[in-house]
Amino acid sequence: MSAPVSPLHVGQQLRVRKPAVTTTQLVQYAGASGDFNRIHYDQPFALEKGLPGVIAHGNLTLALTASALQHACRQWNGGDALFIRQLSARYLAPVRPGDEVEVQVTVASVEADGDAHIELRAAVGEREVLAGRAVVAPRAEQPQSHSKEPLP
Amino acid sequence: MHDANAANEVDRRFIGTATEPWTVEVEKGAIRAFAAAIGDEQPLYVDEAHARAQGWRSVIAPPTFAVTFRPPLRPPWQAALDEGRYLAGEQWFKSERTIVAGDVFTCRLHLVDVVEKQGRNGRLQFMHAEMRAHDASGQLVVTNGRVTAYRAIGALKAHP
Repeated sequence: MSAPVSPLHVGQQLRVRKPAVTTTQLVQYAGASGDFNRIHYDQPFALEKGLPGVIAHGNLTLALTASALQHACRQWNGGDALFIRQLSARYLAPVRPGDEVEVQVTVASVEADGDAHIELRAAVGEREVLAGRAVVAPRAEQPQSHSKEPLP
Repeated sequence: MHDANAANEVDRRFIGTATEPWTVEVEKGAIRAFAAAIGDEQPLYVDEAHARAQGWRSVIAPPTFAVTFRPPLRPPWQAALDEGRYLAGEQWFKSERTIVAGDVFTCRLHLVDVVEKQGRNGRLQFMHAEMRAHDASGQLVVTNGRVTAYRAIGALKAHP
C-alpha cells in the first residue's frame, strides 16, 4: 500500500484574522476551560499582580490559532478538516481585551508518510503573541476506527 | 498587596510526582460551551445529527479541548503558590485520535521538571507539567504539556 498523499503543499499560506477578544469571552473561556485564575477576569487583581490589566488565557490564544489552522486545512482540503496529531506553541506576549489576533498558517514541509509540518504565528498588529508548530495528518481521521458501538 | 502566605518558589521535591488519577466524561454541553468560548461553533462541535451523518458517534471536540481536563483539586506542587504570579509559557498537545462526546478518560497531571531562569525583572521558575489522558482500554489518547512560569515578585515577562 502506498503512503497517503497530503492535500497540503509546501509554501501554502493563509492569514486568518479573529474578532477582537472581549472580557466577556475571557469569563466565558474561564468557565468552559475550568481555569479560574483571576488574572484573566479580575482587573484590580491583575493590576495588583503587576500585569497591565486582565490578560487572555494562553491556551485561548492557542485555541484561536488552532481554529485558524483548521480553517486553513478545510480551505486547502476541499472543505474537510484534517486531523491535527501535534500542536505546540510558545507564548511571546499576553493578549488583552480589544486585541484582534491575526494568525498566519504556513505549510513548512510534507513528509514521505504524508504528514505535513505547519508553522504558526499569531500577532496583534506588529506584536507577536504566539509562535507554534503543528503536524497535520494527510487526511481526515476515519471516525469509525474507534467507535465502540455500531453506527446507527 | 501580594499574598503574604504564598511560597516564593516551587518546591523541587515534587518533580517526578503526579496527582491522583481522576475521571473525565466528555459531555456534549461542555464541548458546546468550549466551542462558543473560542468563537468556533463548527457543526461538528455543536450539531449531533451533523456529526453522526459524518460517521462520528456524537459531536467531536476542538483540537485544544483537553485543556478542560483539570484535576478536581489543585495539584500538590501548586498548593502553596500564588496563582497571580503564573504566566503561560508554552503548551503542546499530542493526540492519537479526536475526542468525541461520550469518551471517558482517566487522567493524571505529572510535574515533569522545574527549570529556573533569570529574567530582566527577577527570577522565573518554569514548571513543566503533562496531563495524560488514557481511555478505558488503557490507551494514551492525548497528552497536554504545559510550561508555566512562576514569577518572583516583579518579574513580568514569561520570555525575557
